[in-house]
Amino acid sequence: MKRIVLTLLIFAATARVGRAKVDLVTLPSRETVQLTIYNSADMTLVRESRALTLKDGRNALQFSWENTLIDPTSLEMLPRANADKIDIAELVYPPRVRNLGLWNIDSGVSGKVPVEITYLTSGLSWRAFYMGTLAEDEKTMRLQGYVRVTNNSGEDYENAQTRLIVGKVHLLDEIAQLARRQYPYGRPGEGRQMLEESLELGQAKRMLSRSRSLAMAPAPAAARPKEITKEGLSEYFLYTIEGTETIATGWSKRLMSFDTDDVPVVNLYKYEQQRYGNSVVRFLSFKNDEEHELGDTPIPGGMLKVYRNAGDAGHLSYTGQSSFKYIPVDEDVELNLGAVANVVVEPKLMNLESENYTFDRRGNVSGWDEISTFSIEVKNTRDIAVKVEIKRNFNTQYWDLTKSGDSGQFDKEDLDTVKFTLVLEPRSTKQFQYVVRTYHGQRRENWKATSQLR
Amino acid sequence: MNTRTKSAIALLVILSIGSGAFARIKLVTLPERAATVIRLDNPRATLIEEERVLTLQKGLNKVDFSWKGVLIDADSIRLRTLDHPNNVTLLSVSYPPNEAALVWDISSDSDYAETVRISYLLSNIDRLITYKAVADKAESFVDLKSYLVLRNFSGEDFDKARVLLDYGEAFEQGIDHEETKQMLFLKSPKVPITKIWKFDAAKQPWDPEKLENQNVGIPVSYRIVNDTGSSLGKFSLWGGKARLFQDDGHESTIFLGEDRTGLVPVGEKMELYIGDSRDIVVTQRKMQDTQVAKAKNKKGDVVLYDTNERITAKVENFKDSVAVLTMVQHIGGQWDMETCTLDGRALRLGTDYRKKDANTLEFEIKLPARTEDGPAEKELKMYYHRRNIRPGAEPRQTIRR
Repeated sequence: MKRIVLTLLIFAATARVGRAKVDLVTLPSRETVQLTIYNSADMTLVRESRALTLKDGRNALQFSWENTLIDPTSLEMLPRANADKIDIAELVYPPRVRNLGLWNIDSGVSGKVPVEITYLTSGLSWRAFYMGTLAEDEKTMRLQGYVRVTNNSGEDYENAQTRLIVGKVHLLDEIAQLARRQYPYGRPGEGRQMLEESLELGQAKRMLSRSRSLAMAPAPAAARPKEITKEGLSEYFLYTIEGTETIATGWSKRLMSFDTDDVPVVNLYKYEQQRYGNSVVRFLSFKNDEEHELGDTPIPGGMLKVYRNAGDAGHLSYTGQSSFKYIPVDEDVELNLGAVANVVVEPKLMNLESENYTFDRRGNVSGWDEISTFSIEVKNTRDIAVKVEIKRNFNTQYWDLTKSGDSGQFDKEDLDTVKFTLVLEPRSTKQFQYVVRTYHGQRRENWKATSQLR
Repeated sequence: MNTRTKSAIALLVILSIGSGAFARIKLVTLPERAATVIRLDNPRATLIEEERVLTLQKGLNKVDFSWKGVLIDADSIRLRTLDHPNNVTLLSVSYPPNEAALVWDISSDSDYAETVRISYLLSNIDRLITYKAVADKAESFVDLKSYLVLRNFSGEDFDKARVLLDYGEAFEQGIDHEETKQMLFLKSPKVPITKIWKFDAAKQPWDPEKLENQNVGIPVSYRIVNDTGSSLGKFSLWGGKARLFQDDGHESTIFLGEDRTGLVPVGEKMELYIGDSRDIVVTQRKMQDTQVAKAKNKKGDVVLYDTNERITAKVENFKDSVAVLTMVQHIGGQWDMETCTLDGRALRLGTDYRKKDANTLEFEIKLPARTEDGPAEKELKMYYHRRNIRPGAEPRQTIRR
């Protein structure tokens, strides 16, 4: 449905705008329209071009947007030709009329003038989501990225060039709120309080239940899915969908963003009592780089559903899902697929001793060491190799550690955390021990920083 | 439907008043409003100056000034005679009970058609300033435009008035009650900008890995200097909302973000926060924070100690362009830096980093672009001691996240 109406009023030469006798009304139609849709906020930049027929002298142009979600303060019109001869003197929001703006234009030319009108609207949105399909050996994953564009703006945008912005934009006001203000810039003294905030619910419902006549106009018969070109701009990424799209209000559309066949993945399992309790949590890990058949552009955050190929007949089994954040190029990705039972980490305290007691003048204990011996057993019950990361927290930074057994790497993560990294073959078990000495009370003074920094 | 009477401010010259009790007879001549000035140079209040021609008779004249449906500060009302200032004298001002009005007693030595200027502070009429800036693709300059937005909700229509700001030419503009008008009043192409990325250890989370599925955005701002080098610098830039766009190289623009600026006097900087960069990642960790006892009491308790503290901040640039990250670190209380290094190279206070105040350090870290081998990485390490701390009276610590 067309709700945005552009009217050209031609006034008697000296008439005052708004009260003048209207001689002629023309309705220049939208020639092209471009939508730039954001996903970090409910906001879309609309740019439309129209051809006005101006006369030499004063012209007035009326722009109305009943039942849409346009921010009136964002309206701008620029001539695309004869810019030096056309002065857009002012934009008037007349009294006691809502959703209407009046441009007063002083033109030094008469005839057709192409103009570009831009504004911000609410109600269009997009989000990214992903499907991952693991190979049976779980060494590679087919990764398909999709975008879903939804139009609840109240306006049908036909044959619109559609662009999506990936990035976090700083906003002061919600566009939807600005769109619902009674007065575009509010009233003096009211601060940021909005009057009459309610876009009537009934109206919103009407928008949703509107006839589906326009619906999804079929795209001009292309034999292949549309491509999305991606480029970086400032701190954001711009996705441009090939050709144009028609998305009627109330509808949404899914488009393929990328499809990569064999992304090498690591089956990573993590154990960290403080964070995950006693369960082992499964992660799928890969990197957004060339080695992993990716790395052209960042990957916008979204939900990934992971499936696994089951058998030759193309059957699938559902592995789990994970939402993930924005991933810059060359960044590691770790997708949390939830707690599992087929990889087990079991830490056991095997021995606890204390020694090196010190006493104050009154004979009370003032310091001591605690020596804890932990045995950690890691079991991989799966038929594929896995990588396991175990983090241990000592609740104090005055500690020394010695270890034995096949623990693999060991890193100090921060002042009171260490990380052990192990790789386990299919259906195998590993065990290692570590002895941690912690210094308490006065004994802290005997601790040396160098003992940790190995 | 609005039933407001059209002209809400009325001026009456009351003739032939007998002595004795003051009867409020209100009908004589209704002088037309002549030149009207709306002065918007003070953001807190709007001053209206209007000229009217009063038909004065020799002797005492009473002039009634009343208003309805508008908010006028009665104490702000002033009257000034323009034609015969030495012959026409304002004797007194009285306020009738329960009325939005005042009465001037004016003495005149002859019959005059006297032009007077009445000025008063009128509420609910003001102006806003908004900015729109379009950056080039390389983000080296912006085309800056500023709009004046007049808002009149005073209850009064102004058919034609001269509008005055605190600078620039006055201009003629009519504005009705409940009307809002937006006018372009500053256009400054090619204003140079500096792009700033800022990590503040007291504001941003330290360890992105500990945040499940959330990116840590590094705030990005544009800095504009209000000086002649920027082809500005002629007057203070008023505070207001600024919207920033960028040329996308396809004859179109994208919206970068918006921010509110305060008043920017000539020579000062305007910093506009546009959005967050998620391609620069800072991972800051505390690697050591231990006590070194300096004195103990008789019980053997530590009563005075120093600390050994180590902080590591890794900065990764995943962008394919260079960036300069401003990093702010905070160390509370009395302290001294033992070593401070960037990628192993010692940094010197004053030349390589700045002490902004007793507890705040600022580093400028130049980040090369990402290469084929991966992100550009820099590692800042600080090893410092906080001094003379008494247990129970520790100064505010750095926030650990």
